[in-house]
Order: sequence, then structure tokens, then C-alpha cells
Amino acid sequence: MLSERTFKAVGKPLERKEDRRLITGKGRFSDDFSLPGQVWAAMVRSPYPHARIVSIDAAEALALPGVLGVFTGADCLRDGLKPIPHNPVPSTRFDVKLTGRDGASVFIGPHRLLPADKARHVGEAVAMVVADTRDQARAAADAVMVDYEELPWVADTSAAAEPDAPPVWDELPDNVLVDSSFGDAEGTAAAFARARHVVSMKVHIGRVTGVPLEPRAALGSYDAATGRYTLHAGSGGAVRQKRELAEVLGEPPESLRVLSFDVGGNFGTRNRAYVEFGLVLWASKKLGRPVKFRAERSESFLTDYQGRDLVTEVSLALDETGRFLAMRASNLSNVGARCVSLSPLSKGSGLITGSYDIPFATLRSWAVFSNTMPTQAYRSSGRPEVTFAIERLIDKAARELGFDRLALRRRNLVAPDRFPYLNAVGSTYDSGEYEANMDRILALADWQGAEQRRAEARARGKLMGLGFANYVESSIGTPKERADIIVTPDERVEVVIGTQPAGQGHETSFAQVTADLLGVPFEAVTITLGDTDVVSAGGGTHSGRSMRHAATVLALASEDLIAKAQRFAAHLSGTAAEAIHFEDGLFRVEGSNRSLSWFDLARHAEDPGLPEDLRGGLRVRRDNEMHTPVFPNGACVCEIEIDPDTGGLEITRYSTVDDVGRCINPLIVHGQTHGGIAQGVGQALWEHCTIDETSGQPLSGSFMDYGMPRFDNMPSFKTQIVEVLSPTNPFGVKAGGEGGTTPAPAVIMSAIEDALSSFGAPHIDMPATPVKIWTAIQAGRAAGAGQAGAAG
Amino acid sequence: MAFVSMTINGTPVSREVEDHQFLAYFLRETLGMTGTHVGCDTTQCGCCVVRLDGVSVKSCTVLAAQADGCAVTTVEGLATGEVLHPVQRAFQTHHALQCGFCTPGMIMAAVDLIDRHPGALTPEIVREEMEGNLCRCTGYHNIVKAILAAAEEIRGPSSLAAE
Amino acid sequence: MHPTRYHRVATVAEAARLFAGQEDASYLSGGHTLLPTMKLGLRQPSDLIDLGRIEEMRGIEAADGILSIGAATRHAETAASPLVRQHIPALAGLAGSIGDRHVRHRGTMGGSVANNDPAADYPAAVLGLGATVVTDRRRIAADDFFVGLYETALEPGEIITRIAYPIPESAGYAKFRSPASRFAIAASFVARTGGVVRVAVTGAGSAGVFRARELEDVLSRDFRSEALASCRIDPEQMLGDLNGTPEYRANLALVMTRRAVDAMGEARSYK
Repeated sequence: MLSERTFKAVGKPLERKEDRRLITGKGRFSDDFSLPGQVWAAMVRSPYPHARIVSIDAAEALALPGVLGVFTGADCLRDGLKPIPHNPVPSTRFDVKLTGRDGASVFIGPHRLLPADKARHVGEAVAMVVADTRDQARAAADAVMVDYEELPWVADTSAAAEPDAPPVWDELPDNVLVDSSFGDAEGTAAAFARARHVVSMKVHIGRVTGVPLEPRAALGSYDAATGRYTLHAGSGGAVRQKRELAEVLGEPPESLRVLSFDVGGNFGTRNRAYVEFGLVLWASKKLGRPVKFRAERSESFLTDYQGRDLVTEVSLALDETGRFLAMRASNLSNVGARCVSLSPLSKGSGLITGSYDIPFATLRSWAVFSNTMPTQAYRSSGRPEVTFAIERLIDKAARELGFDRLALRRRNLVAPDRFPYLNAVGSTYDSGEYEANMDRILALADWQGAEQRRAEARARGKLMGLGFANYVESSIGTPKERADIIVTPDERVEVVIGTQPAGQGHETSFAQVTADLLGVPFEAVTITLGDTDVVSAGGGTHSGRSMRHAATVLALASEDLIAKAQRFAAHLSGTAAEAIHFEDGLFRVEGSNRSLSWFDLARHAEDPGLPEDLRGGLRVRRDNEMHTPVFPNGACVCEIEIDPDTGGLEITRYSTVDDVGRCINPLIVHGQTHGGIAQGVGQALWEHCTIDETSGQPLSGSFMDYGMPRFDNMPSFKTQIVEVLSPTNPFGVKAGGEGGTTPAPAVIMSAIEDALSSFGAPHIDMPATPVKIWTAIQAGRAAGAGQAGAAG
Repeated sequence: MAFVSMTINGTPVSREVEDHQFLAYFLRETLGMTGTHVGCDTTQCGCCVVRLDGVSVKSCTVLAAQADGCAVTTVEGLATGEVLHPVQRAFQTHHALQCGFCTPGMIMAAVDLIDRHPGALTPEIVREEMEGNLCRCTGYHNIVKAILAAAEEIRGPSSLAAE
Repeated sequence: MHPTRYHRVATVAEAARLFAGQEDASYLSGGHTLLPTMKLGLRQPSDLIDLGRIEEMRGIEAADGILSIGAATRHAETAASPLVRQHIPALAGLAGSIGDRHVRHRGTMGGSVANNDPAADYPAAVLGLGATVVTDRRRIAADDFFVGLYETALEPGEIITRIAYPIPESAGYAKFRSPASRFAIAASFVARTGGVVRVAVTGAGSAGVFRARELEDVLSRDFRSEALASCRIDPEQMLGDLNGTPEYRANLALVMTRRAVDAMGEARSYK
């Protein structure tokens, strides 16, 4: 369908259209919106991890200045508000099918806007106060007296799955909501039986939080005259949230307009609706005033949907030459106090064998409730965890069995002639050149020069470490997307589409695609997003789906529009449609030197007396449904230096090779890789949602405790884009948004292990903070494994 | 209540403010200048950075009352009509923003750094001096490039020579 | 934030008078210690008395072997001051390492010292140099000033007006910063003044800044970092939290002391 020579904009590092308003302070973030007469909401939050709500006394709060109302879970039930329909079980055609025990349906734990029965995690909102000012609402929230009956609680992932763990939900006494098995058990058992070597590992990849810099905010209003609600709130998909929130309110979807304009980072945290969004809408109708909510950063740390938290046990069977024969995995996901999304467990399940040709595997994928904030997809949902498991397991095999870690990997990579490759848990990888990726990264990272740099570091008293990781990941996402393309008489092409960027540059990259498909200038194309009164349908943005779905539906819409325009040009020039040829953005009348531009046509698009099929303007609407996943892949090398006296760590080099399929805008894709790297490195070195073992209280409540990637702890990067086109969609797009994160935790821990190899490869749990590194070195020294200052 | 008079991007502004209102909210909510953002509650993220009497400050931790008699510059005041400030232009050229939320504070911090740092700006110094600004999207790489490029344009090429 | 009343004053006397007349006032200097605690609801003073424009609390002078710094001096000013850089460069370097650039444009020496955060930098310099804290009522020796976590010898309403630092033969500072808060997990200020060695450690002690007497004794006999090789700081006296176990802090305090000794005349920040 597409020929390379028509690309004028696609593939170019064009500067972004969205930047102008963002660099001049004209962004439109949720808290930037205000309405006349607006009032403010503040939440009363549970201080306990698990507690029955015995009673709520609002008398003192209601007596405070400016307070307009106090609302509880009982009020929600009385008004017939429904739970948020999160629809957490992934159900597209190629999603790994997770079920409850023995195939039962998954009990998800309903998510009401305010619970009437119990609080199931610290920070769960149990009441809402509305007052004239935000300060008044927050002061009044402190004055609401909630009588709690504390209940036994469990926070730790493994502990929650133990038989004696306190149940989070009465309906599911053992807390295990998902328990599914996959793979060929018999073949795997046979392979393990005949293996020369078996290597095993168990690791808990801990809980982190997305920390988008824009705290969540929502402004809800109700117009009694029209019976319509309006919500200004940054989201991961305005169309989805409109549908969900309308259902919560018990109103038809058309009665709600959701506006998500500029969104200050998502990373998965905004993929599911927050209770405050429904609460401000509901309160705005009850009070007849617009109601606004804005989270404090401490509220974000406490009650943003969180990420990761997987306990994985993996085993690899090898023959005497190092060939991988089979793999076993048990992946236990902590969904928190209720199930909001099983995407991480599902996505990870399909990728446990990684970049390697492992003929047999069995997998137990299970999930558990706990008295913690619910988790959902977070940057590369599920894939960094399983990449960590397989890559670190291979490192362990290499170390224990005496193989070179690169040679062991090369020996087992999926070969280029095996694509499309069906892995042992049922995923079909579309395309890739995995060994070529390895060659590229080793060159880019100057692997050859590393030992010299290690010696130089040693002379400065530092322990150098060299880390390596391959990765393959998947992008599935909501299968449906819709695009409207409208060519206007004033020489603009407007595209309306249902993705929801939070920094990915859709206004630019989608314009590039449209410009080349239609042969119009890039500058003439505008992309409209985020207002559900304009955007009628769409899948939002997550899982790397947007570019692939957008490019495909735009390609199809363009075909339709070009065909319509040809008929229109034929009508205008009094010829047959077959006599109109479209080339380079012009409609040429065969046998003449007459040609019409899009805008020539658009100027006549509203003429009276047009045939029926040409009326309505020069516009088209196209829906597309696409289920086939794609598999971005690549490799990553990093170098670090550890100061053995302090445990301090510096990343000195970080290089990546990423096969994103066709790269629409390399400026944007490199930027995505950079940011993705930072989030993965952050988990490896600094980030953790720590919970106190004795009290169940979250301890990482602010930037004072939650370490972040910063200017002075991140290196500069060498990132290389590789384009092995995917055969699954017309542009050959895979995805470029999450490959930076996927191998990052593995590559950092691989480097740390390398740096500390002379101390006996001590195990360090992420985040590998200085105190942990130093403590591991002391333990290694005490065990007599190393000499001060030496490295492997 | 306090009565404050200050100039904001060169324009005199006088208002009654609550004594406890921070400059960031005075800008955003009283004056409707929503370019300055607030991203945290522990004075760490830097989204709120503006310039107060010519030096960068975190406006979430300065009371509006403390800014009485001062000159405030915000991101809305950097461009001259349609002509962008070199730092703004460099951010666009080098893709130093993605979601744009940290960007106003980031730009104001960069303007202050380029304007006032004595001595050459190297990548290491930029990274050290900008540690009071967080970004979650970009991984910082392109922001460092943008700041160095803008510094070269504003100060001249010799500013990049190592000393 | 909780409502409060804001007052701006021109003299120390006015400030003290105003303080005495209110139910629960706090002094406001740079605001980067007090205002964050107010935002978190940890303190809710009825009145804020802004000391920021009092002339007698500003200015830096050096005379008769004393470097005198006004309490309202911002960290950035201290860091850039030619007098401080000339006479106690480690103090200028320490000031330049506090917080971040924007914080240094507002935070003041007096505000930081009066607060005595166990991880703040200035207390280590004040104690390490044996400085005198000058208030509107008296002069307090450093050894008498820091009495406990967030606690000083200041009486209610007492205002620090200047800090007088004896100019040492040499001084050095080394700190290791928390990856999250960027405050010191352990930091050491070492000074040799009139032949006497003082070592003040901040960030690590469970009662706040303290003098490491054993290290002082060793260094006064042999002022080399190697001389400290067999010293140990007692983990029992150290803080333990997510940033570091008591053993880690004990080690770090010793390592930072050694690095300060190796880099006298400088302030070094590690992470």
C-alpha cells in the first residue's frame, strides 16, 4: 500500500507542534481549568490498612466555615451509584487468558466511589467534603470523625497468598483471584528430566509508582438545563472514562462530556478512572455548583494506581552445550486491595521466554489481593519483570556453569529465519533481528574497551560493572480505533482520533503520517484529541498501541477519502472517477493538464446540488479493529562505577538498540527511549513504595523518601533505532514508547553483580541503594570472597 | 489579608492576598496565569520555579506577601511577542519536553542558570545546577542539550570551553 | 495551608516585640524550612514575622580572626562571597551544596541553624568551627547551642542575628547525600583552629549534630586520613532509617571525615 518514496514527513525528526503552547505557559492541564462558582472537594482517607467503617460523624465538619456537604459510602449506595467498570481482565484475542482457580471467573472486588463497608488500604477515601475553598475543604476533612474497627491486614505479596493470610474480601477468603497455568507440562517435565543443568531463581520485583509530575485533578460540573455533565480531567483515554463514569452515575454516555487536553505524564497511572472523578461529577449535580479536586503530591504517592509488584520463581533447564531446553515460571502479581487491571500479569505471561528459543515452558500465573493500593499497568506493563527474570537467570546460569554470558545468549536467540515465531506460551513474535541487535549494541557500547575502563576505574578506587540485557516486549492494546479526516476550505486538514497522549507527541507524528498519506503539507494538518464531544470513539493510549493503531486507521481512512475525493473531482470536472489519478497530493484529470488540489476540492465541498454520496463535506470516518500484537525488541548495555567505601553508584555509560518497526519521528522515539530508560533505572536504584512491616503504613510518601531519577544521577545515553518492519500493519510500526524501560532493571542489576563479582555475587534486592550495596560488600568481605578494591 | 504590589513580567500588579497564599497560587488562581505549575508539596520538584528580583525561586515556597515590592518573571513573560526566548526555542529544537508539565519551571531555571552562572557551562555543571528540577518524561538528556545550545547562543561559543 | 497572619518588620527589636505580643508566632527567614513544615501541617503558627529585610541581620565581615555572617544571609550569598571563599572556603562550599540552586536563593543561615534539622549542613560548620551564635539577647557557644533533635538553646522569641566563625588554619567538609531527600546521610566538617582539631558530624547522629571526640584526638596527634583507619564510630549512637542502617552511618561518618581531611579547603558532595 505504501511506497517509501512518498515519505516526505514520515521518518523525519520534525519539531513538535504541541511545543509552542507548552513552552510559553499556555498548556491546558486539568488544574488550569476553573468555572465560575466552583467549590472544592477534599477526601477523608483511611489511616488503616484494613478497617471496618463503623460510623461516620460529620457534625463537626459540617459546622466549619464554608462547608457545603459531607458525603459517604452510604450516600453513594442510596443514590444508586455503581462500581467503576474497570474491566480488568484483558480480553483481546491475543491476550493471555487469565482465570480464577480451575477456570472460574475472576472475582475483581468491586470499586465503589466510596466504600460503605470497609477501608481496604491506607489512603482509601471513605468520605468526601465539599467546601467553598480548598483550604476549608481540607480543614473540614480533618474534622470528619470516622469510627473504625481495625482488622487484620496483609501487605506483602507472598504473605497474602499464604493459607493463613487475612482475607481482603469476604467473597474470596484465600485472596487468590487468578490462578491459571499455561504451556506444555508434559514436554517441559521431560525436558527438565533430561537436562544436564538446571538453574533457578526467585525474586520479588517490588512496587513502584508512576509519579507523573502533574498530580491528578478533576473539575466536574452539571448543567441542569441540558442534563449534561462535564468533566475536565487528565486521563489515559477520555472516551473510555466517559463510558465508565456514565455507567457509575447511571446516566447514558451522551450525558457526559470528558475533556482531557494536556496531560502531565501518564505512564499507566491514568489508564483507569479515579474515584474523585466520579465523586466531583456526582457532587456537582447534588450541590448545583462545579466541584473541583486536586491531589496533593502526598495523595498521589499514597493513592495513584501503582505499578509492578511481582514475585517470580523461574527455572531454566540446559543441556551440556548451554542450549536452553525448557523453562518453568510461577508469577505472582499483587493487585492490591481490588483488581483494577491484570495487564501486567497478562502481558508478562506471554513473554516469559524472552528473546530466546526455548521449546518448552510451563507457567503458573496467579494474582493476589492485599491491603495495599491497587496496581495496574505502569510503563511497559509486566515486561520489565519477566525480562528481569529471564535475563538475570541467564546471567546466573552463565556464572554458575562457566559459560560466557554473551555466548550463552547468542546460542539461544530466536534466529531471523524463525519469524513469525511461536513461543512456548503461545505468543507469536512478528519480526526481529535479535542477534544483529546484539552485534549493534556491543559496537555502540564499545564493549571491547570495557576491560580497559575497568582497570582505569580500579586505579581510582572504584569498582566498575558491565551489564547486558536483551529484551523483547509486546504491544497489544485496545483493538479498536476511529479516525475522522476533514479537509477544510481554509486549507487545513483536521484529524480527529481517540488516542490520549501525555507527552508522546501525537499531534506531530500523526500529522506526519497524514501529511504523507494525503500529500498535503505537514503544517496544514491538525490533530484533535481529548474532547469526547468531538472524539466519538477511540482506544486511548497505553501499551504502545497509539502509533500503530493511528497509522493504520489513518491509512484506511485516507484510502476512503482519496476514493471519495476522486469521485468528487470527477463530478467537478465532468469525467468518470477512473479518469482521475491521485499523485503527490493532486487529483489529475487524465488526458489533460488539469489538476485539482485537496483544497480546490474542499472549496466546493458544500456546494448545493451535489449527488448524495458526495454531500457532507470532504471528510471521512473510518473505524478499524486490529488484534495482532507486535513485538518491539532490542538490547542494552550499561556501565557503572561503585564506590566501595560508601556504596555510592554512578552510571557512566548507557547504550540501547531498539527495534521499533517503522520509526515515524526519530526525535520523538529517542525521547521516549530516554524517558523509558530513566523509569527502569529508577526502579533498579532508587524507587520503592515501601510499607512498614509492623504497621502496614506506606513510608514513601513524598520526594523526601521516594528517590527519583534526576539530572545529576542519570547519564547521557547512546540510543540507536533499528527498523525491522512488522508485517502486521501497513506502516510496519511496532512501538517505541516502552523499550527503554523493559531491559533497564535487568541491565542495571547485571552491572552491579558484575561490579561486585569478587565479593561472591551477593544478592541485592532492588532498589539497590547505597546502603544495600555497601552492606552487601561487607557481607561479601566477611565471607572472605573478595579483596578491597579488586574486581572480577 | 495583605496588600501586595509587584511587577509581573514588567506589568504592575496590586492585589489583596491571603497572608498564607503562596506566590505560585497567587499567579495561578488570583491572576489566572496558569503557566507556572505546582507538582509537589515538599519544595523539591521545581515545576513552580519563577524569577524573583532576577533570581530563580520555588514559588510554591514563597508567600505572595514576601514578594511585595519585587519583580516577578514567569514563563509567560519570556517571549517578546511572537519571538521566543532562545531557551524556549532550544527546548523545542532539541525535544527537551514531552508532556510539558515540568517545562515552565525547567525553562525559568535554565534562564537563570545561563544568565547568572559565573564561568563556563559544561554538561556536568548543568546537571549539578539543575538538580532542583524533576522531569519524569525526558530522562534529562535532551534538556541538557537544549540548555547548552541556548547558552552558546546567548553567551557565545567560548562559554562551552572547559576551564 | 492553615491561615496565618504575616508581618514584615524592619528591626530586630520590632520583631521581638511583635513576637512577644502573639499567641503562637514563628519567625520567617528564607522560609525554606518553616513553610514546608507548615504545608505539611506539622506547624501552624498564628503569626509569621518576616525577618528577611532587617539590615542588621545582613552582611558579611572579616576582622580580628573572625568571619561574621548575618543570619539573614542567603546560602547563595555565602557560597559566592569573596570573604567567605577567602577565609573559610569549606564554608562557602558547604553553603553551595545545600538543597538546590533555587533553595539557595532563599534559604538563610539563621533559619537553618535555628531549626537544627539533624541532616542540615550548617550545624556541622557551626559546631566544627566552634562558632558563636549571636542573638538579640546573648552570645551562645556552638558547644552549648545544639541540644537535641530539632532543639537548640534558643529561648522562645530569641532571634539569631549573626554567626561569628573563628577563622581556622584550614577546614574541610564532605557529605554523602540521600538519593531521595538530598540531605546528608552523614557529613563531616573538620577544622584546625589554633592548633585544635574539631570534627563535627551531621546527618548521622540520633541526637543530631555531634563532635566525634575520638577522631578529634587521633587527628590532633596525626592529621592524616590514614591515621583514622582503625577508628570506629559507635553505631549505637547513629540513626537508622531507609537511608541507612546505624552501621552504615557509622561507616559513612568515618569515611566522610577521612575525605574531608584529604580535601581541606574544600567541600565535597558524594552520592
